[in-house]
Amino acid sequence: MNPEYLGLILLVALITCIFIGFPIAFTLIILAVVFGYIGFGKVVFFLMFFQTWQIMKEETLAAVPLFIFMGHLLEQAGLMERLFLSFQFILARVKGSLFLGVLFVSTIFATATGIIGASVTVMGLLAAPAMTRSRYNTALSAGVITAGGCLGILIPPSVLLVVLGPVVGVSVVQLFAAAIVPGLILSGLYFGYTFIRCQIDPELGPPLPPEEQPESFWMVIREFFLGIVPLAVVVFAALGSIIAGLATPTEAAAMAALGALLLAALYGRLNWSMLREATLSTLGTSSMVLFLAVASNIYGSVFARLGTATLITDTMLALPVPPMAMIIILMVVIFVLGWPLEWPAIVLIFVPIFLPVVEALQSDPANPLLPGIEPQATLVWFCTLVAVNLQTAFLSPPVAMAAYYLKGVAPEWELSDIYNGMMQFMVLQVVGLLVVFFFPEVALWLPRVLFGG
Amino acid sequence: MVAENETASPEEVPPKALVLAVRIIDTVIGRGSGLLFAGLVLPMVGGLCYEVFARYLFNAPTIWAYDVTYILYGSHFMLGAAYTLYKGSHIRTDMLYEKFTVQWKGIVDASMYLFFFFPGMLFFMFAGWEEAMQSWGIGERSDASPWRPIIYPFKTVVPVAAGLLILQGASEFMKSAYAAIKGEPLIESEPPVLRGDIL
Repeated sequence: MNPEYLGLILLVALITCIFIGFPIAFTLIILAVVFGYIGFGKVVFFLMFFQTWQIMKEETLAAVPLFIFMGHLLEQAGLMERLFLSFQFILARVKGSLFLGVLFVSTIFATATGIIGASVTVMGLLAAPAMTRSRYNTALSAGVITAGGCLGILIPPSVLLVVLGPVVGVSVVQLFAAAIVPGLILSGLYFGYTFIRCQIDPELGPPLPPEEQPESFWMVIREFFLGIVPLAVVVFAALGSIIAGLATPTEAAAMAALGALLLAALYGRLNWSMLREATLSTLGTSSMVLFLAVASNIYGSVFARLGTATLITDTMLALPVPPMAMIIILMVVIFVLGWPLEWPAIVLIFVPIFLPVVEALQSDPANPLLPGIEPQATLVWFCTLVAVNLQTAFLSPPVAMAAYYLKGVAPEWELSDIYNGMMQFMVLQVVGLLVVFFFPEVALWLPRVLFGG
Repeated sequence: MVAENETASPEEVPPKALVLAVRIIDTVIGRGSGLLFAGLVLPMVGGLCYEVFARYLFNAPTIWAYDVTYILYGSHFMLGAAYTLYKGSHIRTDMLYEKFTVQWKGIVDASMYLFFFFPGMLFFMFAGWEEAMQSWGIGERSDASPWRPIIYPFKTVVPVAAGLLILQGASEFMKSAYAAIKGEPLIESEPPVLRGDIL
């Protein structure tokens, strides 16, 4: 049998095994070893070590545990809660204040962690009771919480982008810069949509009762500087120093973690048990992502060595479709994969399979994917599309996981209401996705202005 | 396995030896390795922050920060894999799995541990062991930076991580085999708190 076809069987075996529900990392390793051994013998053992070693030595990926650590520190120290209460207090007179508060906080927290499930769970715990008490519209509340949580996948410093960079072979800094404008557009759409709906129909999100409103303007200012500014400074200093080239993403992540530690201390929340929980959660979350990175790297190398990757690329390129239609096909596949699979699985296993197709499309001199754009920039654009696409997939009821995370912490909300709310924001997401797709400049403008080229 | 030797009776409590074995592994390997290696993130933060301060405040970048960072990072997530297994946090697709009964979950897990996990991890440990031994033999140094630290302890992390995974896997296998045979969980496991952390 041709090794290429052995690789195809490997892919089918993987997809079958993934759906049985055993942890994906271990399935990847054993399948890679068995198929690799059949395909090219004992070299597979060397390959296994080498691919592991590659991930272990990738200094850029050290930003993953560090950003996750910062997020867990902020969460364990109760700083998310503090931030939300500040927003709630400041915006109490505004219609739909809790919606706007949740979006503000998730945008900042998303910037802080890049972890979706955590944002959805924490925001659900914080905001759902307040929203129910203030008789907010359930569907819109659920939509705001899930959509806000999913912003974390895109808005830098996002862990997804840190992982995607080495996988695709573009600099994480470029990806961060590319994601900023689309991220702002999406959060702008979210804000605009909820704000306008609440202006038209105040029943959706009435202002808070007078006893929860600030008594004077002075109190608002005070709360702003005590509750919001410190956290915002840490997060934006980290992002800013990466973009300005003052620090590598890894260094900035470490500084941000230090900032989170100092903030926790200043707010009087730093103690041993909180630090232990934050480090343990960090260990679990980063090991989950990075051990999967090791396993996918082993799997991917066996897959490539069997020649199947080339086979797939050639087959796809032979399809009689224009380049842009090919990108749409890839996006649909990634979107569907986003229902059952978490982002690390998609980014680490499937994006590398599709990547050669994108590269080949761009390098076609007669009919390039994006005329007049550097190959590296095309990959940056593709990565941005992947991130926005995954965000959309995670908001698509009834299959997306975000609904279940929210249902888990807000059991009094009906799943149908949650679906309804997610659907509204999914439409906004699709708008955002189309904007990035048809106007690549949205993603490519800022990196070019910052880094030239 | 111990569980298979038991004869079924309605009000039977799980065999003490089995529960003890599982609890010892969970405490020593699962939680123990977690507590031990979770702290590695702190020197990672410290080293990198020192590097930034040294570069901008004292105008004297360090020679060691780069190597120290990836050595700590690589050890952190590799050695933490066993803790993550204990916590049930390694990503699985729960679309179908969630709908299984306790017994079916046990059957799926027990057979996957037996035919997929243990062979895979033994190969992994074996491959890592070979490389690490060779590295010790030649006293290998890193070529990633001018500092050139010794690298064989870091290479040894691979077989150690695989070994920890196998030990923790033994506990997970006993739990799932018991569930597969008896249709009920062996011990009340902690809720997998981290499952929701990443979509």
